[in-house]
Amino acid sequence: MKKSKRDKLFFTSLIPFSISLLSTLLLLIFLLFFNSVESLSAHGVSLFVKTIWDPENGVYGVLGPILGTIITSLISVSVSLILSFSLAITIAEYLEGYLKKIVSSILEFMGGLPTIIYAVWASKYLVPFLKNNVMEPLHASLPFIPLFSCRPVTGFSIFAAGVALGISIVPYVAAIILEAYENIPLIYKEACYGIGATKYEAIKTLLSLAKPAIIAALILGFARSLGETTIAALTIGNSMTLTPCLFSPGYTVSALVASQFANAFLYQHAESVLYASMLVTTLISIILSLYASKLIIDWRSRVVV
Amino acid sequence: MYSWRRIRERLFKIAVFGVAILALIPLFHLMIVVFINGLPTILEAGLEFLVDLPPTPLSQRLGGIAPSLVGTFMVTMISLPITIVLGLFTAILVTEFPKSRLSIMVDTIAKSLSSIPTIAVSMAVFSLIIVLVNAIPELRASLNPAGSALTGSLALVIIALPFSYTYFSTFLRTVPATYKEAAYSIGMSRWAVIVRVVLLVVKKSMLVAVLMTMARIMGETAALLFTAGRYRNGVPVSITSPVDAIPLLIFDYILSPFEVWHRVAWGATLILLLFYMLIFFVVKVVVKEVKLV
Repeated sequence: MKKSKRDKLFFTSLIPFSISLLSTLLLLIFLLFFNSVESLSAHGVSLFVKTIWDPENGVYGVLGPILGTIITSLISVSVSLILSFSLAITIAEYLEGYLKKIVSSILEFMGGLPTIIYAVWASKYLVPFLKNNVMEPLHASLPFIPLFSCRPVTGFSIFAAGVALGISIVPYVAAIILEAYENIPLIYKEACYGIGATKYEAIKTLLSLAKPAIIAALILGFARSLGETTIAALTIGNSMTLTPCLFSPGYTVSALVASQFANAFLYQHAESVLYASMLVTTLISIILSLYASKLIIDWRSRVVV
Repeated sequence: MYSWRRIRERLFKIAVFGVAILALIPLFHLMIVVFINGLPTILEAGLEFLVDLPPTPLSQRLGGIAPSLVGTFMVTMISLPITIVLGLFTAILVTEFPKSRLSIMVDTIAKSLSSIPTIAVSMAVFSLIIVLVNAIPELRASLNPAGSALTGSLALVIIALPFSYTYFSTFLRTVPATYKEAAYSIGMSRWAVIVRVVLLVVKKSMLVAVLMTMARIMGETAALLFTAGRYRNGVPVSITSPVDAIPLLIFDYILSPFEVWHRVAWGATLILLLFYMLIFFVVKVVVKEVKLV
């Protein structure tokens, strides 16, 4: 179909809006990169293989925060997988009518809740709870495992931050799993029940069908945990250390930036080091998100049609 | 064999239900403790909580959060209209020309934008303002590089734009093609169809998209960390001077060692929660099913 003249005009009139979107993205990445150059050229790769924050002597290494970011996000994804998986299955398979509406509404309510509220709650209630009921028993009974080898002193730790982040991304991950699950064509379900499957067996079959979408949901949850600032900054304990123990305080990149950026201009390179570590986090986050959305699109065109 | 399948069925159901309830407990606990800790603060401070300045760290009085309230109001009023206009027009382009290469590009960009950590946006906007102020000395007098409502709003627009775009395009896609076909068949132009048919059909959803974008903007913390200025010693009067926001106040005060600031932070958290609940319930009344995620 040939576009009419007015259509063309309409199409052109909307182009500036899309260009503004593209230029924003490019400008953001350019600004992060532009500010990173100074420290990247001064320190090179050593910036990412050491763990040290000594602005007075101009020595930096952000391996600790980067590993801290990855480890907290991994814990967060594992926590949210179990919780959101059950929540999605419950909503899709076991609840009906009014109850289903209420629980889905609660899920939406959680999804939009400002993260600072989660952060305040986590720092005041979740962290002490985890310290007394999870971290101390684990340390007492399994001190020979390196992950649990250190005594949880305050409770503010990589482990606590991971769990808090995991709870906060539950609605996000659950919504993606739920959408994927409900998008599976009905014929598959009918086929399962048609050969006499029980509900459990049907769910198992349907879930194996939705596997790529669930993996995508987990990757998206991981990417979201990577960049989350307020919850991490209030629960991780803010310490520049690198230990294999999950119960010691640490840093994520965004928590490091949140606590150090305001004073960083006082020291040479400090600000630029923060930009460089944030650039790395940002790029990882963008790549993972794009990969995950590609997974979902591919899955949809294959299964849902 | 049959009985084992039956037992497994039961066990699975119990496990799934149990974990699902476990997943919801944090929300209920969170809301209860926010009320338990926030309500005494607000009751003790009274109406002054909304109109007074925050207390000094060792003060006996609770004071209020007026600077943060006004600041949040200012950045929301500046960034919301800009976000809505940009998000809506981009969504119209993508839903009207779904096959166009431009639309596919826009969709990918929106996804990338929404996955950038909000604190990274804050840093980038901060450095942008520094660059601008250094390049144009006349700007220094009018735009405070330490932060302002205007700078904060810029960061908020960048953060909220991909979300509002997603909301709008989701709602625009729900318009049945038959409505549009009917409109075209009586000779309406493309633009007229959008304005007179499509937007009218989804006008309730549009309101929901606006409210959800607003909820996003109001609750955002990290984007404002280096862009707003955290000025709490007075109520801001100009959009080019430093301002505060409710989430920023909570973030700083809960990290501080002072008892009175913790109490103010809890009160502010309750105010923020009440705002969010209000928006959510309005949204629920307007439209039966919305996705806030």
